[in-house]
Amino acid sequence: MSAVVAVGRRVLIALLTIVLASLFVFLAVQALPGDVARQLLGQDATPEAVAALRETLGLDRDVWSRYADWLLGAVRGDFGVSLVSGAPVGPDLLTAFGNSLLIAVPAVLVGITVALLLGVVAGVRRGRTADTAISMTALVLMSVPEFMMATVLVLLFAIVFPVLPAVVLRGPEATPVELLPSVVLPAVVLTLAMAAYVVRSMRSSTIDVMSREFVVTAELKGLTPLQVVRRHALPSALLPVLDVVALNVAWLLGGVVVVENVFNYPGMGKLMIESVHNRDLPMIEAIAVVSAAVYVLCNLAADMTALALDPRLRTRRRTRSRRSA
Amino acid sequence: MPRIAEPLSRRTVLAGALGAAGLGLLSLSGCAPARQEPTIPQAAATGAARPGGMLRVARPAASAAETLDPASSLSAYEYLGALYNRLVKLDERGGTVPDLATEWSSNADVTQWTFRLRGDVRFHDGGDFTARDAIASIAHILDPATASPQAGVLGEVIDAAAMTAPDPHTLRFRLSKPNAEFPSLLAAYQCYIVPADAIGDPRRAGIGTGPFRLSSFHPAGTGSVEAVDDHFAGRPILDGIDFFSVQDASARVNALLAGQIDLISQTNLDFATARVVSASPRATVARSENAQWYTIPMLATSPEFSDVRVRRAMKLAYDPRRVVETALNGTGSAGWDNPVPPNMAAFLDEPREHDPDKARSLLRQAGAEGLSTKIYTSSYDAVFTPLAVAYRDAVADAGVRLTVQNASSDSYYTQVWMQEPLMVSYWFTGRPIDQLLGQIFRSGSSYNESAWSSPAFDAVLDDARAETNDARRRMLYQDAQRLIVEDGADMTPMFGDRLVGISRDVVNYAEYGFEFDYLSIGFRK
Repeated sequence: MSAVVAVGRRVLIALLTIVLASLFVFLAVQALPGDVARQLLGQDATPEAVAALRETLGLDRDVWSRYADWLLGAVRGDFGVSLVSGAPVGPDLLTAFGNSLLIAVPAVLVGITVALLLGVVAGVRRGRTADTAISMTALVLMSVPEFMMATVLVLLFAIVFPVLPAVVLRGPEATPVELLPSVVLPAVVLTLAMAAYVVRSMRSSTIDVMSREFVVTAELKGLTPLQVVRRHALPSALLPVLDVVALNVAWLLGGVVVVENVFNYPGMGKLMIESVHNRDLPMIEAIAVVSAAVYVLCNLAADMTALALDPRLRTRRRTRSRRSA
Repeated sequence: MPRIAEPLSRRTVLAGALGAAGLGLLSLSGCAPARQEPTIPQAAATGAARPGGMLRVARPAASAAETLDPASSLSAYEYLGALYNRLVKLDERGGTVPDLATEWSSNADVTQWTFRLRGDVRFHDGGDFTARDAIASIAHILDPATASPQAGVLGEVIDAAAMTAPDPHTLRFRLSKPNAEFPSLLAAYQCYIVPADAIGDPRRAGIGTGPFRLSSFHPAGTGSVEAVDDHFAGRPILDGIDFFSVQDASARVNALLAGQIDLISQTNLDFATARVVSASPRATVARSENAQWYTIPMLATSPEFSDVRVRRAMKLAYDPRRVVETALNGTGSAGWDNPVPPNMAAFLDEPREHDPDKARSLLRQAGAEGLSTKIYTSSYDAVFTPLAVAYRDAVADAGVRLTVQNASSDSYYTQVWMQEPLMVSYWFTGRPIDQLLGQIFRSGSSYNESAWSSPAFDAVLDDARAETNDARRRMLYQDAQRLIVEDGADMTPMFGDRLVGISRDVVNYAEYGFEFDYLSIGFRK
């Protein structure tokens, strides 16, 4: 019974988070100087043309009724039409989101696996050469901004040794197959940028767990180091890292604006920059909802994985309520 | 579009990073000439081109709302010159020369203009080009529903009813007031001619009489045009052009350096990036001379600059040659506050004096000694901030203390332009003399960025328009320039060369103002 309530509460909070995110983004766009009419028409605009476009787009109505209209539509699954292209928001966003997944999924799969492994190795071999090498590399990668890393990789692999394309020349009309050669460099940048954080936190978590009594006991029982790490240390060490992983995955799926822009990659991050520049509210709102949903889902997934890994977490609530009773 | 939008403000940062990293890596890998600063070439490569080839162009698309309607303010600029022709075009000195019209003449008081049109021209869909198409295209510009940027300029002298076709290849305009420079107003890049019955039909957008016909077009995406074999001006050297939309300026440069594209359009490379590009084995830099007209508008309606003595002092106080050296590393020419580029026939070659002491005394007379205010800039254009800083330093000699204030680039032209008393700005050069002076400096014009209002100047402009003698008209336009230099509120510190990224394989690239030579450009033999 209490599990159902707990899950229900989680879902409600998740929905509320998404709605609040959409509201804040809506208000933030209102606070930006200029509106879509001005941004679109630019300085060629005569005041009459701006006024006419504002009226056509319904920008002359007040903020709250426009937000209410948008929310009602969104609940029914209708995210409106782009103020710029006049086309429904849904299909364009889906294409861009799909393209983002094309670089994000390989980055997540490879990045997380390798990062966790390296983190454990560094933690177990604390203070040795392997640890120093891994930690230093991670530190450097964390300190270099993604666009810098992207630029250096482009210089190396597209300009000095031209084996990969530097930028995506095709726009949103490109098919995934056409995009494939261009996926490599952005995916590598994302992998490196994200993996560094995960390596660092996995390392410290491993060090922490390896010094605990139950690990020492396991070692004293005569288990091989591999068995100690795999059966005893790893499950506990993973727990605190899960949140870091979840946040990084969400950051990545939510559209890595800078990286996509450097590569002219037609993903959700680039779509977001363009929509914000044009003040294309329906598109910005839809992107906000998708991003918020991704964050919520990633955190939910992290919590669920934590439950699966640690039996204590499943019982803690019951234990606590019994105590307080 | 007077300026092509640069939507992303990080571009300078990225380009700077690219510049630093690029120089380092290129010299590490031995691509850069050892210990020698790469210099930026003076002119584009010329020579024999081999027939054929597809030119790949990276362009900054304005937005997903862009269109092939040349009259619209949202037109996809790079396609226009390839797909369409105008009645007339401009030569490098700003003179009006034939395109679809072969000759034109006026009545004695320049209120009626008659254009003789070519009879051998067909649209890409096979239809014959006649005066009816020209009338419909210009009426479409004048239509308020189109909201064309050129509507104001043309609407001042004609309306849709003012155009008649005495025969299929003769076009007559009856002007509402005399204008001896009327033909030049039809050279604007909104005035491309489309078939009369294709207007308003999106499925037929892109049909014109130009040297290339449209193969595909995705707004803010890719597009392609192919050569027309039997074009009246001759077949283009190229087989076609592929256009790609790349929003980020440094991504455009990367694509060029990696050999993915051959030309970057509508992009003025900053000096650091231009040096990296010039040092590359695949790409180089071509110049479109004096293509960027940099201005420092002083808002004439503001308390700071309403006094003409203060405005004069702000000009006398600085030496534009110093600004060109600092802000452009010499890749441009000094403006001396005259908005007319030196290559134009009507240019008044009388540099004003540079006298900081006189500036100081003028400020004292106006009660504005030690004037202290902000000068706005943004990353909208790579040269803006260097220009603001160079100007600030240059006027310090006259006791003027300016603080450089950086504003957001994506709302610079909606929140700062024509609202703050002092800012840096730019236009593309390429307006014919009458449109340049009338559009940017005439009282009440919507592009009058300094809100300057001078009845004397307006009167000189009117006199010039009514003057049929070419030499006397030129003198009147020079009088107008003198008034701008002495009394005006929009300073012109310099004209910058546009530094264009281009492949080393491309020859015969030529671009000035809004004119691009689509016929001769090709690949090296």
